[in-house]
Formats: sequence, structure tokens, C-alpha cells
Amino acid sequence: MARVLESIGKELLKKSGIPVPEFRTAKNEKEALAAAEELGYPVVVKALVAVGKKGKAGAIKFANNGEEVQSQAKEILSMTVRNFPVDALLIEKKLDIVSELYLSVTYNDNTRSPLIIASSEGGIDIEEISREHPDKIISYGVNPLDGFFQYQAKEIAAALGLKEKLLQKGTQLIYRMYQFFDRYDATIVEINPLALTADGDLVAAAILMGVDDDALYRQPDLKDRVEAGGDRSWRPLTELEKEMVAVDAAESYRGTARYTEMVGGDIGFLCGGGGGSLLAFDSLLRFGGQPANYTEFGGNPTKTKVAGLVKGVLSKSGVKSFFMDANITNNTQTDVVAEGIIQAFEEKRIDVKKFPVVIRLAGVNDAKAREIFQSAGIEYYGDDITMEDAAKIIIDRMKEIYG
Amino acid sequence: MAILVDRDSTIAIQGITGREASMVTRHALAYGTKIAAGITPGKGGQFVEGVPVYDTLRQACEEKQITTTVVYVPPAFAYDAVMEAIGNNVKLVLVITERIPRKDVVRFLAAAKEAGTTVVGPNSVGILNPEDRIKLGAIGGDNVERCFVPGPVGVISRSGGMTAECSWMVKRAGYGVSASVSIGGDPLVGSTPKDILARFEKDEKTKAVVMWGEPGTASEENVADFIKEGGYTKPLIAFVGGKFVEDMPEGTVFGHAASIVQGDSGRPSLKKKKLKEAGAFVPEYFNDIIPILRDVLGKPQSA
Repeated sequence: MARVLESIGKELLKKSGIPVPEFRTAKNEKEALAAAEELGYPVVVKALVAVGKKGKAGAIKFANNGEEVQSQAKEILSMTVRNFPVDALLIEKKLDIVSELYLSVTYNDNTRSPLIIASSEGGIDIEEISREHPDKIISYGVNPLDGFFQYQAKEIAAALGLKEKLLQKGTQLIYRMYQFFDRYDATIVEINPLALTADGDLVAAAILMGVDDDALYRQPDLKDRVEAGGDRSWRPLTELEKEMVAVDAAESYRGTARYTEMVGGDIGFLCGGGGGSLLAFDSLLRFGGQPANYTEFGGNPTKTKVAGLVKGVLSKSGVKSFFMDANITNNTQTDVVAEGIIQAFEEKRIDVKKFPVVIRLAGVNDAKAREIFQSAGIEYYGDDITMEDAAKIIIDRMKEIYG
Repeated sequence: MAILVDRDSTIAIQGITGREASMVTRHALAYGTKIAAGITPGKGGQFVEGVPVYDTLRQACEEKQITTTVVYVPPAFAYDAVMEAIGNNVKLVLVITERIPRKDVVRFLAAAKEAGTTVVGPNSVGILNPEDRIKLGAIGGDNVERCFVPGPVGVISRSGGMTAECSWMVKRAGYGVSASVSIGGDPLVGSTPKDILARFEKDEKTKAVVMWGEPGTASEENVADFIKEGGYTKPLIAFVGGKFVEDMPEGTVFGHAASIVQGDSGRPSLKKKKLKEAGAFVPEYFNDIIPILRDVLGKPQSA
């Protein structure tokens, strides 16, 4: 999933005919002040980070004058919201809110169809709403083949207790929100709060939006404005992670790869296969090991891609060993993987006599892979041992060399 | 007879002329699987490894009674390919393609449900039935017997790679598989572990099932409920990998796109608990699959 910044989400909402507060973005106190002066007080000063629950983190404040804007801008810019350092702000004209509602569209994995959730008790997390006001939650499934009709939007608006003119406004807004979700290949659109203002308007005061990575190719409005794979990390990508994304993208036609750095750890870890990586990582922990990273590839990558990944794995500071643990491959050519690993070892000048290395790699062309590893003096296993057995061996080798 | 595919299946490959698909066709033919047709628009009249290529699935269906297709077309065309299969009354569509937009998957799954078409995948590595020597997809590669030999154990896996690894563990224990099914690593798949389990329940040859589970989705929970309701009565050995994910920051994806923990949903520990309560065997360690299988099935003939 690609996380969409609130400023971009609101720009797109506005384009789709959904009212949003007037807003500017700012990178520093000076810009924040200029934006506030332009919008007129009071204003809202918000951290511009692509994660939710900003209010809870104290990253949303209200300012009545220039002095307040500057001090709040300064404070919020020094914050880290759920591991994301704040480097920009959203300055918004403060709404005169009478009540707060909740609206979202997402996919229900069980019914395999889009699901609209609405509540008259907005302004707090959906988890909180479902805990405290379970009777105030409206769940509305959408048949993906039929699409979404105006009358359905009206039913939801009515269930929210909206009447007269507000019923019409609510119907339009809910209908447009679904079209918005559909048009942008979103995986989640959450408007919380949906503000009912003193002027009798419904305004999307905040939006949380995620877009399907796999559909970005057909979303020109989002091109270069969102970061794919945002849900693959709990913090912004590190420099090394960005390099590994580039290694993967350089040969996107063959093989898929991902690299995530762990906090600390000393085992350089490479795994073939998403499921296998879970087993191998669990096994390393079980035997007392600490992986320095989580690296996984599949889909028969090229030698260059494997070499690039392995170099990345070995580049992280504190890495004291290399462990490759893969499930028996269906289509990945293990000899190509072997060549890639050897190339990276040569470039990084790894001395396998002093640096523990264990490989468990079986599958297509593994007789050749065995030969490549063994002639390089590397401890290699094919399908003679299990993936769990291999994890035990690397831990033992590390103990032998490092005590 | 096995589940999903057997000797009566007439198989076509959609997107057969692609690099991956033509390699898989070669491996399947070498294993003994009959491939009746391939479909690639604009390449009708050609042959891939001796298999005739048609421009449309309809043309192939007019000459042969295609029951099963394997979809290898690129993500942007996968929606249409699956709709083409549904529109031509194919019974089983195995979708190998990965990275298909979620919106498209939701739509073709809904269309398949309405038409009564079975979809396995997307993002599946394939289905293997060793007794009838049917190999659909890359599963088994060029050396099928390494992991897949005929026997009484069904294998269901949310991971393509672990489909082979689990089947190999079954072989290592001294048995073989009735069928191995890679259901696909995406959050939304046409056939869930529960759906496949229901088929293994009805399959006389299957005496036990080994299942590979992961963090995320409610697949394992739904399997546990299904057992409790009496929908599945044979021994189930259910391994759930990815315990470490619970100690990682919430909402982070590891492994497959579906492998995500949010709040209590998707936690391996809760999945294991539910499966145990339902009476499944839930090995703490992957290696334990072997002794458990031997306990459940008795001494293997080859051991």
C-alpha cells in the first residue's frame, strides 16, 4: 500500500467535489506564519506525515495568532509521529464544528468486496467507536459488480440521522467518496472527522488514504507523489533500503526483492520466498540469533539483482555473518543465485574462513549451485537438511568463531 | 480422482507465449501433464512446445472442451483474461499472475462466484496432483519428484515456496501427497484454505492435511471454525509461521502482502490457539510436522 499525504488526499478530494478546509503546506515556521496570515485566524497546525492518529500524538494544534502559529509550528516540526519525523506542516483554516461524523471505505477481506463504514460518533478512532458506540456503527457492503448507487448513499446518510438539506449533502458526499475510492484504486479512504459546521456544511476535516501499489501504473495523478510499499516499513525508508528498492526496480521484469533493516542484529539474512522468510526468521530467533535485516526475494531474479541485494545485506554495520535460507525453489534458478552471492562476496572481500556463512538453497539447478558454493569454500546445504536445521547451524558457526 | 484437477481436466494456458509460461509448459509436458491449448492474442496458429496457440479462448473451446485454464498474462490484462475464462464456462481458473490491482481481483472474484467458476489464486505458484501427474503452474519446477510423490496427504499453503517445502516434509516423513495447492499470497484469493479443506474432506484418498499458515487475514481462524462446525473431520496439521511479526511494529507487512498484523487481527499466536481449540495439530516447530504425521498416519510403508 502506498500512503498518501493528507495534503494530496485533500487536493484530490476537492477535485472530486468533496468539501475540504482551505489549506496550505509549510516547511518551516516562516512559511507556516505566511500561510496562516493568508488563511486568516484561527488556524489548525498539523503534522504532514502519512500516518493516522496525529491528534493522539499531539501533532494537531490550534492557533489564534501569529505568535501561536510559530511556536506550534516549531514544536510540531521537532516531533516524530509514530516513527515518522515531521518535516512539513499542514496549515488549515479552522472549521466551526457543530458535530463530528465518521466515514470510510475499505475492502472487507472476508466478503471480498468494498465496505463502507459510517458513524455519527466521529472524531475518535474507529476502534474506539466500535468499543464505545457499537450501536452507532453503520456497515454497508458494496457489490463490486453492480457498483454503488445514489440510493445506497442516501440510505447511509439517513442512517446517520441526516435530514432535509443535510440528507442531500450527505448523500452526495458519501456517493462521491465511494467514486473517489474506486477511481484512485484506493485500499482505504477514511474521513474522520467529517465535520458538520455551524454553516450547515459537511466538510472532510481529515483524510487518511492508502492506494494499491499494484495499481499505481494507472494512476497518473499520483505518479511520483506517493511512495509504494509504505506499509512494508514502520518508519521512513533508510538510505540502504532506498538503495535496495533501486536494485529491485533496475530489473523489475525479473524477480521481486525487498529489504528491511532491523534495529541492531548481527546476522546478514537473505531468504527466498515470502513464507520461507517467516520460518527462517522465526528459527533464527528461536536459536538465539539476531537478524540484522529482513531480506526476501522470489521469482527467479538475475545474478545482478542477487549480488546487489547481498551487498546491501553485508553493508549494514554490525553484520557478522551471512545466512541464506530458502525453501526448495519452484522456478528460481539456484545456480544464478549462487553466482550472485559469490560476486557480492568477492566485491565485499568476504573471507569465508573468518566470516561465518551458511547456505541452504535447493531447487532448480542445485547440483550446479552446490558446486559453485563448495568450490568457493562455503558451507552449503541443499535438500539434505530442513530450513530449521540450517538456522541452527549458522548460530553454531557464529558461536565457534565469535564465542 | 483428486481435488481440483484430475485426468478428466482439459487444460489451456492463457498467455502461453510468455517467457515464464513457455518454460512452465515445457516442464509440465515433461512431467506428463497434457496441455490442450495455449491462448495469446495475435499468435494464433503458432506452437509452444508443440501446444497449439489460439487467439481467443473461445476458439480453443470450440475445438476442445477446456475445463481448466492457467492465467499467466501480465497484471494489467489479468482481469480480462479471468473474465474471458468465466465467459467461456471454464470450471477452474488458476491465476498465477501476481500484483493484479485489488479492484480488478474483487471484480473477477465476484463474477466467478456468480458464474459458479472456481478461482485459485491470484499469486499462486500452482496446483499439483502427483498420482495423475498433473502440474499446473511453476510448482515443482523441473524436478517434481523431489517434493511431490503420490500419497494420502493433502497440502494447502498460503506461500508458494512453502507448498513445495511442506510437500517435501511429507515425503521426508515417508508419505506423499494427494494434491498440493498454493492458494496465493494475496489478501484476496478465490479459494481460501477453508475452501480447499472442504474439498480434501470429500476426497477419499486424502487421510490427513498439512497446512501452511501465516500472519494476517482470517484464513486460519475460519479453518478452526470450519472444523468446529464439523465441516472437516480428518487430522489437520496446521503450521503457522511468522511468530516474530507480533513483536514488530504493528501494521508492517512481512513476506506476502496478506501477512500483516493489526490489533489482534492476524496474530499467529491467536490463530494457533484457535486451531488447537478446534482439535488441529499445531506444531511449534516446522520439523515437528514429520513425527506428528507419523503418529497420525501410522508407520509409512517406505520407512
